[in-house]
Amino acid sequence: MSNNNNNITKEEIMAIYPKVAGIMADALGCDADQVKPDSSLINDLKAESIDFLDIVFRLERAFKIKIPRDKIVEEARGGLSEAEFEKGGVVTEAGVERLRLVLSEVPAERFTSPLNVANIPQLFTTETFCKMAIRQQRAASAAGAARV
Amino acid sequence: MNPHFRAFSFVDRITTVELGARIHGEYWIPSGVGCFGQSLVAEAVGQLAAWAAMATVDFQRRPVAGLAGEIELLRPIQPGQRLELAADFDTVDQDAASYGGTAQVDGLPVVRLRHCVGPMMAVEDFDDPEALRARFAVLCNGGAEPGGFGGIPDFPLERIGGETGKQAIATLQVPANAYFFADHFPRRPVFPGTLIMKANLELAAGLARELPAPAMGGEWVLRSVSDVKLRAFTSPGEVLEISARLDRISTDAATLNLETRKGMRVVGGARVLLAPEDRT
Repeated sequence: MSNNNNNITKEEIMAIYPKVAGIMADALGCDADQVKPDSSLINDLKAESIDFLDIVFRLERAFKIKIPRDKIVEEARGGLSEAEFEKGGVVTEAGVERLRLVLSEVPAERFTSPLNVANIPQLFTTETFCKMAIRQQRAASAAGAARV
Repeated sequence: MNPHFRAFSFVDRITTVELGARIHGEYWIPSGVGCFGQSLVAEAVGQLAAWAAMATVDFQRRPVAGLAGEIELLRPIQPGQRLELAADFDTVDQDAASYGGTAQVDGLPVVRLRHCVGPMMAVEDFDDPEALRARFAVLCNGGAEPGGFGGIPDFPLERIGGETGKQAIATLQVPANAYFFADHFPRRPVFPGTLIMKANLELAAGLARELPAPAMGGEWVLRSVSDVKLRAFTSPGEVLEISARLDRISTDAATLNLETRKGMRVVGGARVLLAPEDRT
């Protein structure tokens, strides 16, 4: 089972972190030093839905990637089916387990119980977006290589 | 007269459209309107883009004002002029439409938009999808009769604070009733983000007049607006507080930060670049 998380090294994350943090700061109108790797975009940096859209498009332009916006939570779900992942808007135990694996950068205490699906974006940190950018960079490279 | 597609609509004709990719159209600014500012020209480009975005998703979703990376204000516009409008899309899907565009007069660009993103929302919450579909067909097949727009009333800003040459703060009383609400939008009246931006720019221009003159003389003019973000809808009758604050100034450039609040909540923001007026 892929977890969308393996093989992304701390070095890779730190290599793009300054650029991602700068994008976060620009999008959220805050100082770059307010943005930390484990900052929750919603709870710490007060991001709203329009900010997520802003950040995603800024990342796309900065890294020349495409981030499928409707797939962000789906990616976090990994290989689990929707029924395995959530019941009645609440993330199942298996789903939480999955999220802990995929969002390994998120401090464990932030995975509240019960966890509503609607609250998953509250878990996203700056590092989550670094990983997202790295995954899409890899996907773009793989697609480019396949075309050659 | 039915205000739908007249009171706040700025596309008369769609000349070419390639769904999901690009669209061209035109708008004839009625000569009888008192003035037609650059904010409304930017609105015209956004509305052209909105037609293509709606058509791309079969009129199930529509973009609303959200983000604009940069709006270049290149030349003034006069009533009676014909705007040649164009928009190119990076993406259009169920969540967002991302595009750039231009408005030109006689082949010269007057306003240019870059990196705009409109969050897509359910069309039926705002308008009748069938009416939009029919209007799109009219626009694409010869166009609508120009001249439907009758102008926008002035919404005076009341200056309530600030510090000369550093910050200006004002309130904007959004009218409880206005003709254009029936067009923007028929099922949910929303004070257009463009008019919020217009008020912001008026306040910015006022602050610009208080700054030390540019080194080369003359006056500061608004050259571009960047990082525009609208966070919430504004309904009829609401009161907004707008502020323009000097961020930095040099001999040949200045930037202002703009912020719009509804109560404690920040509902909009942007940055304005000022440059010395072109005296060539």
